[in-house]
Amino acid sequence: MASLRVNKLSKQAISSCFLMGLGQLLHKQYIKGFLYLAIEVGAIYFFVQYGFDNIRNFITLGTQKADPWLGVKGDNSIIMLIMGIFTLLAILFFFVIYIGNIKDAQKTSDRVSRGLEPLLFEDEIKEFLDEKFYKTVLFLPIVGVCVFNIIPIIFMIFIAFTNYGDSIVPPELVDWVGFDNFKKLLSLSEFSSSFLKILVWNVIWAVLSTFINYFAGLGLALLYNKECVKPKALWKAFPILAYAIPGFITLLAFKFMFSYGGPINQLIVNAGNSPIGFLDIDAKWMARLIGLVVNMWISTPTIMLLASGILSNIDKSYYEAAIIDGASKFKQFTKITLPFVLFSTLPVLISQFVGNFNNFGIFYFLRGGLYMDGYFLASDTDLLINWLYNLSIDNNYYSIGAAISLVIFTITSIISLIVYVKSPSYKQEDTYK
Amino acid sequence: MSKKRSFSKYIDSIITHLILIIVSIFFLFPCLWLVLASFSKSGSIYSYDGFFPKEFSLNSFKTLFTDVGLYNYPEWFKNTLLISVFTCLLSTFLVIATAYAMSRFKFKARKPIMKTTLILGMFPSFMGMIAVYLLMTQFNLINSHWGLILIYSAGAPMGYLTQKGFFDTISISIDEAAKIDGATNFQIFLKINLPLSKPIIVYTALTSFTWPWSDFILPKLLLKEKDLYTVAVGLMNLGETEFSRFAAGSVFIAVPIVILYFFLTKFMVNGMMAGAVKG
Repeated sequence: MASLRVNKLSKQAISSCFLMGLGQLLHKQYIKGFLYLAIEVGAIYFFVQYGFDNIRNFITLGTQKADPWLGVKGDNSIIMLIMGIFTLLAILFFFVIYIGNIKDAQKTSDRVSRGLEPLLFEDEIKEFLDEKFYKTVLFLPIVGVCVFNIIPIIFMIFIAFTNYGDSIVPPELVDWVGFDNFKKLLSLSEFSSSFLKILVWNVIWAVLSTFINYFAGLGLALLYNKECVKPKALWKAFPILAYAIPGFITLLAFKFMFSYGGPINQLIVNAGNSPIGFLDIDAKWMARLIGLVVNMWISTPTIMLLASGILSNIDKSYYEAAIIDGASKFKQFTKITLPFVLFSTLPVLISQFVGNFNNFGIFYFLRGGLYMDGYFLASDTDLLINWLYNLSIDNNYYSIGAAISLVIFTITSIISLIVYVKSPSYKQEDTYK
Repeated sequence: MSKKRSFSKYIDSIITHLILIIVSIFFLFPCLWLVLASFSKSGSIYSYDGFFPKEFSLNSFKTLFTDVGLYNYPEWFKNTLLISVFTCLLSTFLVIATAYAMSRFKFKARKPIMKTTLILGMFPSFMGMIAVYLLMTQFNLINSHWGLILIYSAGAPMGYLTQKGFFDTISISIDEAAKIDGATNFQIFLKINLPLSKPIIVYTALTSFTWPWSDFILPKLLLKEKDLYTVAVGLMNLGETEFSRFAAGSVFIAVPIVILYFFLTKFMVNGMMAGAVKG
């Protein structure tokens, strides 16, 4: 591939620098040349007509407030923000094509200097089924991910630095506020005390539930691995059943089970006691405990299945050697089984931790929409991700929500980063070929 | 000595089986409770005798499909099926294409793309969803099944690692032989690698089918009209007096998934393992 060093550029490549497609035209590649030219003309038209305005609006986020009395239409800050992002991406995209155009002209010049004819247009199209097949194949996925993943994330990152939300939604004008949202989360405000409390519980939850699920799952795998357990498939069917049921059904069912009119309370009432609000506003640790148990019910089977697979991979000769040396069952477990399983499932453990850290479903279904005193639009079981939902979707605090998203991102990415750096399978990505 | 050992083995076996039974009940009981509830004669959870209904009938299933005034389950089911099938088709295509390109070609942008997907994966999935929700409301694109299908499918290629792992294991020597015979990369993909990758296509299709089948967040955000609901969103609206109907609706959509999982547990676990180990 031609590298881009100015002093080495051919005459055609330099002419492509000034006018896209000119180099290709000089090579008598007319169709491609005119296509590049058309792109440049289109791009210039777009920037003159809309681009400059879009960028200016992106910076100001609107200056004219709507006034129905005077019939003034007003600026919609959010549309302006979005159009600004689109325009910035369009500029980036244009530059990629522009550089490609110069490289292409240079490549053809190199061909010519080697005494070959410039490629015909149809031959270049054919390349997309051969050497450039990956480009053809990746085109749709990349467009899809850009539109539905990257643009929304960029949008949210920008929102975190505005005051969008609460009473400030279009037709009100939104403004850039710098790091105010993050300051609000950390320093004294109605948000900060909730934020700290929720963050602490979130970390406790993630550690506890990962720990419980992991060792319960491992314990189950060891149990099913015992020789006297027969037929294994039959006994394993029960946790697999739990694993296979869609999560929302499980969670809704458990909500019914622990509700006031639910079966447990009916039994309590029948025994002559007053019903207990297991998941009620004053349930305190009871609700958290139920959350942990329900999460265990849902996640343990997954760990069990993974650990079973790993256990069957342990070399039996280790145990034989251990028995000869007179090691007890317990010693065998702590010295052979546990280190091996821990080592193989470390990435799983961490992905479980991240998953539990962002476990939205559990408390959304069990206690969704409960707001408590001392918390700002949250309850004592809500995790950051639940709070994010309460703030953004139910109460329109978009910018604070976006700031919380970035905090969650920072935490999970630090954890994941440590794992990716440590995990041997990442370092040796290409060795198994 | 040997007698003592067989005796302790005997005790061990009893304890093991005792734990097994407790564990099995722990997992089975809620499922059993739900299945029995779906066959209850009365609809409300209040008229049960503790955990179990007093009388049994097929009533709930009948009302589920006939009494559609407030809770239009057949419509919800149709919506869920439509969304899942189209998501399955689209995202299987996209994921397989991405994984194949990332596994077979060594191009300059390859590592940057891999790193970008890693970083994107670390953003809480919710963040993108809230943004999509805001954008969709801004452009009035809410209440559309196609919007949902597009969002599910467009996000799917981010989970290409399992499939890439599979393509990595197909030897490239066949590809090279075909190349010498003058085959283009397109032909190699179509004629050689695609037929070899049936298992991973089935796996991808299944996982991308079950994801929208059991997701509740996105449809809850984007579908605001009752007749457009998916089963998950619809069932969330059923209260305690409609408990049997809820149970029947749940059993009806859980059974096909459970059967699928039972047949494919091994498959799923291998996929999960590959995905987890590689990120």
